[in-house]
Amino acid sequence: MSRVATTILAAATAVIGLAGGAAADDKAVVVGGQCDRTGPTQIVGVVICPAIQDYIDLINSKGGVEGYKITYNELDNEYKVPQAVEEYERQKQMGAVSMLIYGTPQTQALNQKLTEDKIPGTSPGFGISASSDGKRYPYLFPIAATYWSQGAAAVQFIKDKLGGSLKGKKIAYVYYDNPAGHEPLPILDDLQKLEGFELRSFAVPPPGVEMGAQVIDIAQRYRPDFVIDHLFGRSPSVAIKEYKRAGYPLSKVIGLVWASAENDIKAAGGWEAAEGYHTLQFAGAGDDYPVRQEIKAMYKAQGKEPPATMDDTVIYNRGLLDAALHVEAIRNAIKANGGKKPTGEEVKNGFEQIHDFTLSGLVPPLKITPEDHEGGGWVQIFQAHDGKFVKETEWFRAYPEVVAAAVKKAE
Amino acid sequence: MFHREAGVFKTTYAADMALYPLPIAKWAVAAFAGLFIVIVPLTVDEYYVSILNLILIAVVGALGLNILTGYTGQISIGHGAFMSVGAYTAANLVVRLGAPFWITIPAGGLMAALIGAVVGVPSLRIKGIYLAIATLAAQLIIEWTINHVPAISGGVQASIQVPRPSLFGFQLKTQTELYLFLMFFAVLAIVATANLVRSRIGRAFVAVRDQDIAAEIIGINIFRYKLVAFALSSFYAGVTGVLYTYYLGIANYEQFQLPVSIDYLAMIIIGGLGSILGSIFGAVFVTLLPIATRWFLESFGALVFQQSDLANMIPNLRLILFGGLIIFFLVVEPEGLNRLWRNIRNYFRVWPFSY
Amino acid sequence: MPDFEWRFTLVLLTNGVMIGLMYALIALGFVLIYKATDAINFAQGEFVMFAGFIAAGAAGLVGFWVSALLAVAGMVALGFGLERIVLRPLIGRPVIAVVMATIGLAAVLRGFATLVFGAGNRSIDMPVPDEPLNLGPVMIPPVQLVGAGVSLVFLAIFTWFFLKTRIGIAMRAVADGQQVAMAMGIDVRRYFALAWAMAGVVSALGGVVWGAMLSVDNQLALVGLKVFPVVILGGLDSVIGAVVGGLIVGVVENLAAGYFDPYVGGGTKDFVPYILMIAALMIRPEGMFGRRRIERV
Repeated sequence: MSRVATTILAAATAVIGLAGGAAADDKAVVVGGQCDRTGPTQIVGVVICPAIQDYIDLINSKGGVEGYKITYNELDNEYKVPQAVEEYERQKQMGAVSMLIYGTPQTQALNQKLTEDKIPGTSPGFGISASSDGKRYPYLFPIAATYWSQGAAAVQFIKDKLGGSLKGKKIAYVYYDNPAGHEPLPILDDLQKLEGFELRSFAVPPPGVEMGAQVIDIAQRYRPDFVIDHLFGRSPSVAIKEYKRAGYPLSKVIGLVWASAENDIKAAGGWEAAEGYHTLQFAGAGDDYPVRQEIKAMYKAQGKEPPATMDDTVIYNRGLLDAALHVEAIRNAIKANGGKKPTGEEVKNGFEQIHDFTLSGLVPPLKITPEDHEGGGWVQIFQAHDGKFVKETEWFRAYPEVVAAAVKKAE
Repeated sequence: MFHREAGVFKTTYAADMALYPLPIAKWAVAAFAGLFIVIVPLTVDEYYVSILNLILIAVVGALGLNILTGYTGQISIGHGAFMSVGAYTAANLVVRLGAPFWITIPAGGLMAALIGAVVGVPSLRIKGIYLAIATLAAQLIIEWTINHVPAISGGVQASIQVPRPSLFGFQLKTQTELYLFLMFFAVLAIVATANLVRSRIGRAFVAVRDQDIAAEIIGINIFRYKLVAFALSSFYAGVTGVLYTYYLGIANYEQFQLPVSIDYLAMIIIGGLGSILGSIFGAVFVTLLPIATRWFLESFGALVFQQSDLANMIPNLRLILFGGLIIFFLVVEPEGLNRLWRNIRNYFRVWPFSY
Repeated sequence: MPDFEWRFTLVLLTNGVMIGLMYALIALGFVLIYKATDAINFAQGEFVMFAGFIAAGAAGLVGFWVSALLAVAGMVALGFGLERIVLRPLIGRPVIAVVMATIGLAAVLRGFATLVFGAGNRSIDMPVPDEPLNLGPVMIPPVQLVGAGVSLVFLAIFTWFFLKTRIGIAMRAVADGQQVAMAMGIDVRRYFALAWAMAGVVSALGGVVWGAMLSVDNQLALVGLKVFPVVILGGLDSVIGAVVGGLIVGVVENLAAGYFDPYVGGGTKDFVPYILMIAALMIRPEGMFGRRRIERV
């Protein structure tokens, strides 16, 4: 009998549990976000998501956007797609008018739904490279350099570093062996034909905790003039360590955006160990931005210390970028519809009007249009030097024609 | 009183072996059908329908795995890989040939069945845990192959976009329309499995599981039946993969990796090995678990913990709960939720005359 | 240049041997548990990760050696506890039950580790120099040397243990036939607990060494998947098989990555050990040094 009772009790709790749903506040705009705090990319998730929340809190503390407060709902998707889909539906039910998506497979899975439901979603620094084409992907906004732009920019940087010409030079492309890692390959191939350099790619199978053979191959056999590192999660730090062990100078290595955080430097053994490593950023790195000081002041005003997540400036600032662009899009939408609560479609139009919004350099000079949802593919290079990230270049974009041609070619 | 077996007499063998011998069973099925096929789509909110859709797809997958692991006793950790085989087959057919769903779904299943049979070949020589490890290898090798063969995976992105299924020119877009679409296949799978396990093949499967040497002696070709089990189970998995593809609009192997295989194993263990209702229970349970934990912690956790800590804690507590529940069910109720249900049903068999 | 290729191969081989011995360290824990309790431990990677976390977490406070000891102590306690709570109720149940229990355990450990230690990664600073040793064309990082050394030491210890000591022989007896062992007066439960505790010790050292090499975070558990090719090749219940299997997997991985990758577009390193494993399963499932299982009707 007790077994029956327990079963019924459990079932009842579950049923009561499903009758959820928050009441919507009329002077609040709902934004939904997904995060990965427990899956393979949790190192990123646990910093980016608080950053988004912090920015929204900052905006709300200053009176909101055109009089509306922003309610930000965050859900963890463990980097799993069915979870992401279910959470999307839940946030839609809660009235979200725009979404911050997390994860490349999730972006692909949600693309159709976002378009059908007319809710814009952002995927900064990951997602589908071809989604910079706003006509084909109307509701998907990379709002930051896609993998293609990143690859092109890395090649441009190497070209500048090697004296302006790549003819006859050797470049090694080290990548994480999954679809996101494969993405820059077509662009690199196109650029190889264009610029005349030799390219060899080295795959690092997930989870990328051990890549001795590849690094040895690079350092001793292939001996390239430069290495492009497109790795995620644990592997960037492992790579840095391996380069050191194999004796390959880190000043000849550039990491793409997800191989470029303080975390990777720390895990590789600290700033001295990673001295010289170049990193590609799509959001400014470091503490030297007014918006960060404002957030710290906000915490102090509440009598709390700024959280430790702020120290991971690279990833934290990316969260700020993501949130800031959503806020701007909502601001544009409200201004355009005369002060009413915006719909998803209006926010999407709001995104497409964003230009010259730089948060004093944290955000690149993006220009998002209905055709270009990427904003131009701007990146900035920072180098690990003297215990922190030092700005090496200004915001630049590279080979836009090559990237545009690839976008056109993509199915 | 409800589950009255007295007074029901059969006069033919066919009637005796029927799927629903008792009147109450027939009423119960009709009621469920009415509830889920008619009432739910008309009244329930889209969000909950989307959860039901995920459950329906999981039911098909769980049934397939139960055929292999529950009824035939072969542990398989490669279920996810067969799903991705089905998914990519269907996606390629749709994108290259424009095939409609009533071709792609069986095609995806058949392709997966073929690969499943190949993976089952080692079962000639190895059993038990060794076979399980071989299926693990199969999972990883299939993933690797899809990742590295652009002809299958559709390019470096390894994902293929697929438009929603269309029926007589009408495209199924909303959650409710997809719900009916998926419900059709889930019911088909349930009925097919129910008939399968009562048939000769089903009995052979159980014989292989329980006493394979004795079975061989009385003339059952156990190798052949193991292959059939692998193939059938993979067929279900392939269909599940295609259904996911249509539901999400995209085929991507990253959705079908090792954690998914483990999820399905958890479904059938928690639900009950070797039973159809068990597969359904398990699918419901495992799919709802993350959602329910999140709801629970969001509502009550705020009383105890800080908001920011909570966001970090919820996903981890979910993992702990998932693993903990698996262990709990293994230790306390090895036959899973199905046994709990049987207990309830047995209680009502003689109610109110329990003496 | 032929000379160049030799050097390359030599470097790959050395790297393979070193990594292989470190794989063996993890596999030893697995083998211990299987040898004594017939349980397949799918959570071996998580054990290593958890031990690494304990060591890393304590290292900030008490220094390397004490934190290593703490990791060992912690894992022994964990081993005892797990055996009691999870394994003992499942004695005599079909193998799928134990497999799933360890899978569930893996999830619990992962969630628990992140809950307690946070999601960032932590490093373990071993008091060995960072600079790699130069032996001609080959460079070996001292951390790997330590790991390899620990592996070999444990190989020796466990081989002696199972062959010569009373306790070791008793454990083998328990693995062979529980009923008979009980009839002989051996307390089976105690030996189960002991086996899990010993596996805990090995996992702890594995965690410390792997953590020092890679830094600890919750993805460290994924090395646990590598354990399967190693133990299948070497034999699920053979200590020396774990080491030999580890060496083979390490060397083959590296050679494949160095030589096959350019032709196949990469990633062979992950793929080849599993092909080997399937071949081994078809030809000789009990591995090179495992005992042949005789199925009694």
